[in-house]
Amino acid sequence: MSFQRMDADTAETLAGVVRLLRRAAELVWAAVDAEGAGSPRQVLALGIDLAADEARNLLPDAIAVQGPVPVGDEPAGLLRSAEQLLRRIDTPGAGAALRGLRARVADLVWEANTGVDA
Amino acid sequence: VSMPDRRTVGELLADSEALARETLLDATLEQAPAMVRSWNQLVGSAVELWAVLPPAPNSPSWSDPMERLRAIGEAISRSVTAGHWPGQGPTDEHLTQIADNLSHAQHLVERSGHASQSTTTDSPADVQHAPGQVMHTLYVAAHGTVVALGAYAADLQAQAETAKRRRQPVAERPTALEISAAQAMVARFDGFEHLAAAAYLGEPPSSTNPGQVATPTKRLETALAAWEVQAHRTLAARPDPADLVRISRVQALITSTTSILTEAAAREGHVDVAVIQRLAPSLEASQLAWSRLAKRWGELTSPASRTDPALVGAASEVRAAIAATATNQAGWAAPDQLASRLDLPNIVKTLHLSMVASVEIAYVVRDTAADHPGLTAPARIIGMRSQGEAELAIEQGETRYEGITWTTRRQRASNQLVPLPEPARRGLINLADDVLATTNQAVAAAAQLDPSDVTRSTRFGREGRIGRSAASRQITHPA
Repeated sequence: MSFQRMDADTAETLAGVVRLLRRAAELVWAAVDAEGAGSPRQVLALGIDLAADEARNLLPDAIAVQGPVPVGDEPAGLLRSAEQLLRRIDTPGAGAALRGLRARVADLVWEANTGVDA
Repeated sequence: VSMPDRRTVGELLADSEALARETLLDATLEQAPAMVRSWNQLVGSAVELWAVLPPAPNSPSWSDPMERLRAIGEAISRSVTAGHWPGQGPTDEHLTQIADNLSHAQHLVERSGHASQSTTTDSPADVQHAPGQVMHTLYVAAHGTVVALGAYAADLQAQAETAKRRRQPVAERPTALEISAAQAMVARFDGFEHLAAAAYLGEPPSSTNPGQVATPTKRLETALAAWEVQAHRTLAARPDPADLVRISRVQALITSTTSILTEAAAREGHVDVAVIQRLAPSLEASQLAWSRLAKRWGELTSPASRTDPALVGAASEVRAAIAATATNQAGWAAPDQLASRLDLPNIVKTLHLSMVASVEIAYVVRDTAADHPGLTAPARIIGMRSQGEAELAIEQGETRYEGITWTTRRQRASNQLVPLPEPARRGLINLADDVLATTNQAVAAAAQLDPSDVTRSTRFGREGRIGRSAASRQITHPA
């Protein structure tokens, strides 16, 4: 999906995904800090950061990412919400980047539900 | 009119190796600044020649050690160009001559149209050995530069102490800044030498065959090598603070992984228990220092921040490789699991080299904090941060910050992006210094794990070695 062809609804949905992922990452990094050196949660936290980066890079500059901080303090729940939002983006011929992001976020939901955060 | 240079590729490379040995033999402290200034030209010529040569015998196709060295050479050059020590000035004749030789050799190979035989007088064997000769030349020249720089830094230190004892005016003494800049450059060249030596010796001594399907060990090795190169590329291109956050977070994760895998290797008897006892606290301190640095850079990001897509790709592969090699659903994998999945002795050596390379990344992060002209931050948090850093500096005797307000009320009200105030920049530099100190401690503690250590056993006591024969330190070529 090119930036030019992204409609307003899709852009707003993706911006919401960015906010959800950033909030989830913030919560997991807080848990990493609380655990001290060598926390295995770093793997999940970095994964969420990178998914948020990918989502952000799909958005054109003109789209504001700012918005209300997502409600909730459970990283797994926030990730699930992000995944559901991504599924709503039903653009025919959605680019490989978007498909890759969907797969990445689905993996993160699984990691958050089955890993040390479960 | 000068005579045309009729030397063959083999002769040019042999001459380059001899010049590198002379550099080491004749290394004096006076030459150190000029050697630093010449370094990028030398590495640039080596990179261009390397690109047209056939791969070195036994070198794995998936990892190009020259990319790593190029990234470090360019980072050192950017630092000098930005005005850091030693700044502008004369270059070194020996290193420049080696660079010219390598460039000439590159033209000969290119002119011949194919790399297997560059000139009528070069045998295929000559060209086959060329990559090893290029790497050896870089290694020995880096070692010579480390020796000269070490002597230079020690001399500055001695001058400063003498001047203090004699109560000479401060203006006539070497500054603490100059001394620490020279010492930092020693560490950077030390890292370069370390990586060149490892590449020359065929890093790491892997049991894997490049033609085989990727093993977890090889996947992690490849991901780390690609990461280092990409981190340098991103840092060289006016990075966004978000890039610095990601780089620091990935480095922290790599450091944790190094700790987990080294401990597993120790449990399996591959690493001396005394080594892990020294290394574990240093790795822990290094990981925490990278994490603190990430958080501080995070204060400079805004909702609009973007991370370099290439950096995201390289980081994703490092994360995926670490997840696949070192974790299970419950967290870090147990030592026996790790031993069954991985070639632990080799992966630990690879991670140690990555730690050496991370020192250079930390220097570039520090330079970015010091020099990046476009750094901005949201006014509210950076106003508070600047005030906190300024108060710390004032307590230590800094008077320039007294009575300054770092952001205006209007900037804070709209949380406007403002240019990074000096105290906030200073805070980032201090945190990068913490990373450097802790990582250097970890590198020193892990010296025995270094695959190139056999070549470096006489590293310490540099002043005493100046002028000694280089023959004892020369590495023999592989058969």
